[in-house]
Amino acid sequence: MNLLSLVLAAEDPTQSHHWLFPEIAEILYGSIASVAVFSLLYKVGWPMAKKSLEARTAKIQKEIDDSAAARREADADAANIRKALGDIASERAKILAEADAQAAALLAEGRTRITAEIADLEARATAEIAASRARISDELRAEIARLAASATTDAVRAALDDRTQQDLVDGFIAKVGASR
Amino acid sequence: MSAAIVNAYVGAFFEVALAHDAVSAVEDDIFRLARAFESNEALRSSLTDAGLPAERRQKIIEQLLAGKAHNVTVQLVSLLVGTGQVALLPKIADALVKRASSEKQLEVAEVRTAVALTDAQQQRIADALTKATGKRVNLKVVVDPSVIGGVIATVGDEVIDDTVRTRLDQVKSRL
Repeated sequence: MNLLSLVLAAEDPTQSHHWLFPEIAEILYGSIASVAVFSLLYKVGWPMAKKSLEARTAKIQKEIDDSAAARREADADAANIRKALGDIASERAKILAEADAQAAALLAEGRTRITAEIADLEARATAEIAASRARISDELRAEIARLAASATTDAVRAALDDRTQQDLVDGFIAKVGASR
Repeated sequence: MSAAIVNAYVGAFFEVALAHDAVSAVEDDIFRLARAFESNEALRSSLTDAGLPAERRQKIIEQLLAGKAHNVTVQLVSLLVGTGQVALLPKIADALVKRASSEKQLEVAEVRTAVALTDAQQQRIADALTKATGKRVNLKVVVDPSVIGGVIATVGDEVIDDTVRTRLDQVKSRL
């Protein structure tokens, strides 16, 4: 049984509805309505949808372009950074070299100065030791002389009894009296 | 100022001593007292102590010289103490001795010894100094233990030193 027989059969009001297919008129009206709706949709909705799709496409394209531009900029920045890093490394090496040179110069100068100061201190210490030795020797000699003189004085005082005192006075008288 | 005061006192002392015919005694007493004043710290500080009343200081000097010095000497030194000029005593004594000696045309001979001299020794020393210097001397003896031994005589500018102290000093210098 084909569709036409079915439609014809549907026109028979005595026949009952098919469990699957609607009535012919319903199909017809439905089809017309569908065509009208689809036509209307095509006429009105499609341009809008197309426009929306185009806008979205343009937006996506723009985002892709922006991303590409951002990536290029990032690549450029990365290149600059790499270049700067290279410059920094070079500058760092240069600064380190200069610092090493200055440190070496300072070290050499410091060693020279310290050596000179040590030599000066040694010379001064030697001179002071010699002076101290001489001074101590002089002081010791003076102290020995003082003690010897004191001991001599004490010994002489102890030896000067009355008889000796009188002898000394008589000796003075004799010496002075004989002087002219 | 000090020299003028000394000269004033010397003139006054001499005239007073001369009036009492005690020049030799007074100048000898004052000379000995002056030497004691120089060498004795306690005596010097007592007589120059401004905290002590003048009467008290005069009493000290009167007690010190009682029976040992001419009465005129005691009165003159007491006067000096009373006027607060006792610090000038050594200068006054030296000038007075010089003045008295000059009046007698004598040269002052100060002799220092470690021990006291007998009168005979003093006379022999005076004779020896007269012979040595060609001048008649007014001998003034000072007992000075620092001499240690021997004699040192000063006649005018001339010094005759034969003391043990000087010999020890020479030894010390050599040491």
